[in-house]
Order: sequence, then C-alpha cells, then structure tokens
Amino acid sequence: MELLCLGLNHRTAPVEVRERFAVGATKLGEACTDLITLADATEALVISTCNRTEFYLVAENARDAFTRIEARLAEKIQLDSSVAAHFYRKEKLEAARHLCRVVSGLDSMMLGETEIFGQVKQAYATAHQAGATRTVLNKAFQRAFSIGKKVRTETSIQEGSTSVGNVAVDLAEKIFGHLKNSEVMILGAGEMSRITAQSLVSRGAKSIFVANRSFDRAQELATEMGGSAVRFDDWQRVLERVDVVISSTGAPHAIVHRADVEKARRARKYRPLFFIDIAVPRDIDPAVGEIEEVYLYDIDTLEQLAEEARGRRQLQIDQCEIIITNELGKSQLPGT
Amino acid sequence: MDRWYLLVSTLLAAVGGVLGMISVHRGRRSHWTVVWIAAAFLCQLGYLWVRGQMRGACPLIDTGEILSFLAWSLTLFYLIIGPAYRISLLGVFTAPLVVIFQALALLPGVMTRAPQQVANGNPWHETHSAMSVLAYGALALAAVAGVMFLVLDRQLKEHHLKSGLFRNLPPVRELLISLVRLLWLGSALLTIGVAAGFLMPHTASAWAHLTAALAIWASYLVLLLIKQVRGLTGRRLSLAAVILFVTSLAVFAFV
Repeated sequence: MELLCLGLNHRTAPVEVRERFAVGATKLGEACTDLITLADATEALVISTCNRTEFYLVAENARDAFTRIEARLAEKIQLDSSVAAHFYRKEKLEAARHLCRVVSGLDSMMLGETEIFGQVKQAYATAHQAGATRTVLNKAFQRAFSIGKKVRTETSIQEGSTSVGNVAVDLAEKIFGHLKNSEVMILGAGEMSRITAQSLVSRGAKSIFVANRSFDRAQELATEMGGSAVRFDDWQRVLERVDVVISSTGAPHAIVHRADVEKARRARKYRPLFFIDIAVPRDIDPAVGEIEEVYLYDIDTLEQLAEEARGRRQLQIDQCEIIITNELGKSQLPGT
Repeated sequence: MDRWYLLVSTLLAAVGGVLGMISVHRGRRSHWTVVWIAAAFLCQLGYLWVRGQMRGACPLIDTGEILSFLAWSLTLFYLIIGPAYRISLLGVFTAPLVVIFQALALLPGVMTRAPQQVANGNPWHETHSAMSVLAYGALALAAVAGVMFLVLDRQLKEHHLKSGLFRNLPPVRELLISLVRLLWLGSALLTIGVAAGFLMPHTASAWAHLTAALAIWASYLVLLLIKQVRGLTGRRLSLAAVILFVTSLAVFAFV
C-alpha cells in the first residue's frame, strides 16, 4: 500500500480551474468515502481551500488510482483531458514531504501563513470522522502536524516583509502600533502610492487623504479607498493632522521641504510623523528626516530592507526543508 | 531572613533579565521575563513583611530599606503596566534596575542588620516615605520606558532595523503613551508624598530635603504641563524623564 497525493494549487492552476474542483466543507467527508470507492483505495482524505484541492489516498496501484480519479474529475466537472496538466502527482515519501510543506505553509501563496495548518487539521478531522482514514493517513497527518509545529517554532518563516509596500506598512505599525487611530495622506495618485495606501487601509488605517495635481484623479483614488480628496495646494494644511505621508508624484524636484514640516510641528504637538517617499526623483527633501519626530524612508531604503528580508526568508526556507527531511527520515512512515 | 528574601529576589530578577536579553538577542519575545519578575516580587513581599515586623512600621528608615522599597515599587508598576500594555520587553529593561537597587541595598553597611523598632511612628511621616518611594517606582519605570523609546527612536532614525531588540520593542506611540501615564501616576503619588512631608513634624535640617522634593515635584509637573499644553517630541520627553529621575536620585543621595 502506498501513500499518494493528487492535487492542484495556485501555482499549477488558475483560479477559474481551481474553483471548479473546490469541495465545500460540508461535503468533505462524503468526498473522502467516494474517493475510497472510486480509486479502489483503503484510505482517503480531501483538502480543499481557496488555493488548493488535494486528494490524499492509500492504494495498491498509484497509476491506476491517479487515472481513475482524473477521469472521474474530468467527467464530473465536464473539462477536457487537458485538465490533467494542472495536477501534480506525488507518491510515497514525496507525498509525505509535500503534505509537510503544505502544513508548514511552505507551499502557500503567502509563505509561512498559519491558516493552512488549521484548514488541514479540519480536513483531517472530517475524514477521520467519516471513517476514511486508518493507519497510514493517521500516522502521516499526525506526523505532518508535529513537523509543521516544529518548523514554525524553530524558524521565523512567517516573519519579515519582502515587498516595499509591506515593509512600509510594518514600519508604520512599529511607529504607531494598531493603525486604527492613524490617518494617512497620499501625495500623488500613482500606482505605488495606491498599493501602499491599500496595505495601510487593509491593516486598519482610520482615514486616507489623497492630494494630486489632477483633482479628478485624486477624487477617483479617494473614492476607491473610501478616503477624501484634497486639492494639491492644501496638502500642508492636512499635514497637521495625519500620521503617515506616502509620496509618489512625478515631480522632477522635491515637493516637501523641511520648512513645510517645521510649520506644521506646533499644530501637531510634535507627534511622530512617518514619511514614505517612493518617488524617483525623491519628493521629500532628506533634511525633513533631520526633524526629531520625523521618520523618513525613501524607496532605496525600503527596497534594501525588502531585499534583506528576502535573503533572510530564503535561508529560513532552506532551514525548513532540512527540518522536514530530517524529521521524515526519523519517522519511517507506513506507505512511504 | 530578610536579607535572604532580598538576595533570592535579586537573583530571580537577574536570571529573568539575563534570559530575557538572550531571547531578545535571538529575536524572540521574552515571554518568561514576567514570570521571573513576578517570582522576584513575591520574595520582595517576603522581605518587606519580615523587615516590617522587625521595624514595627513600614520599613523605610535606612538607605538599604529605601532602595529595596524602591525596587519593590518599580517591580509592582512593571507588573501592572507591562502585561496590560503587552510591553514584555519592559521587564528586560526593568530587571537590571531592580538588580542594581537591591544589590546596593545588600552591600555591607547599607542596610542595618538588626533594625530597631520604630517608637511613636507618625502617620504623616510614614505616608510621606511610602508615597514618595512608590512615586519613584512609577517615575523609575517612566525612565525605563524613556530609555526604550530612545533606543527605538535611534534605530528607526538610522534605519537599523535588523536586530532582535528592534523586533521586540513595542511601537513608538505605545511607549510614549505608557511613559506619559507613568509620569502622571508618579507625579500624583509624589504630590501626596510631598504634601505629607510638609505636614509631618520636622526639624530645621529636614527643610533642605523637603525643598529638594518640592523642586523635583515641580519639575515633573512642568514637564507634564508642557507636554499637555504645547506638546513635546518623544525624544525630549524621554530624555527629560530619564534626566529628572537620575537627578532626583542623585539629589536624595546627598540631601
């Protein structure tokens, strides 16, 4: 008897394909028992999340089992045989390794995310309740959970932001804590500003002000993010109340000078102010960063921080893979 | 027995501080610091109880007792503020101060070995001593929060964001909020302490001490008024909290 895995995920299949194979939470148990009959297997388990649908089973003949399931799926959702190209097939130790990577968040779209751990646990509990798991799957999944925990405890796979926008948002949280009391001003309605501001809004920023030379564009972006548009000449007035300023205009020279910020300090009662300058050439005069309560980060600094985080993350990924290999080597799981 | 309690408490705080620093250096949260400090606090209570029995009053007579009471007060406020604001790192910064105060108290000659019972204790005198030292516990913790802010501010300004310390420090705004609250709390307690000082019977030689206390109380009040009315940068507020606390300790060491 061999441990097998057949599945598709965000890397192998676009959302329009993945959604066709999704199995509702209430039907997971039934799907497991159906799978046993269909693939002539002794055990089966189905994991279905927004990023993946995977079938784990224990069967005598891997090729037969895969062919039967693929044919049945293609027939059920009325797709042609090209759908097979979206599936990955893993056997024995490779299937166990894949399961461990999934549980540890190494196979997730957002590397190291923890939600998948709970989702797999839930899928396992459902299959177990439906009587679809026995020795092989029980041991494989329980081992995968303990390896997943070890990976998260002994590495910092989920730490550190690897994009400029996320680095900026993490810094904003380091300065202001929860962003629910923080107000943000965007200078220049460019794409990078929009992405960074959206990240701040998604983490709870209280309100957004958009100032742009074209007021129509400012209104458009403000509406999109549930904020308020400001005339470009008025940005200094708004500076008195905001906590974060994201600047990305196309101006060939600095827009924000030290004197502009100095003027607003008294009215701001010298509260901390975070400037994110993602424009090239820079919008904010570097002298602004010399003001005591101002934290100024330009695109190069943010990119460098993101690059360092990417380097650290790659080291962490290697560390995780070593843990998985070592732990599986010790386990001697049946079916692998 | 009293010295043993204090010694064990000092060791527990030292272990908590060192383990906290190690975990911070490794970039992990120092979850256990609060437990070690809480254990140190229990031993401090044991010390105060035994010493209080010996004195028959609040043990705040000799320098060793004052330092120990100050360390207890600092620990008490950390245990109230730290977990409430989820500032686990505050313990790592607080522990060394507790260890220093208690180690100084344990030095030979600093704390009387066989303390005499306090005869005819005056309630205003006890209120003055207890409230003043409690106030200094809160103000010491404000200074600790100030140091934490200064470290974080420097790291953010200079873009040095890789250290484990940076990752574990609480956000700037939360640090400043706790700092201001501790300053208000400390100043309120100091107000009672100073007022009780003027109400207690005192000799002419006590005037210098009371005048120094009044000056320090006024300095804290001015700092808070400036912060409230005009506003103050985090760096200046933190520096002021640290300088005022160190100055007040230095003043009372000599006056």
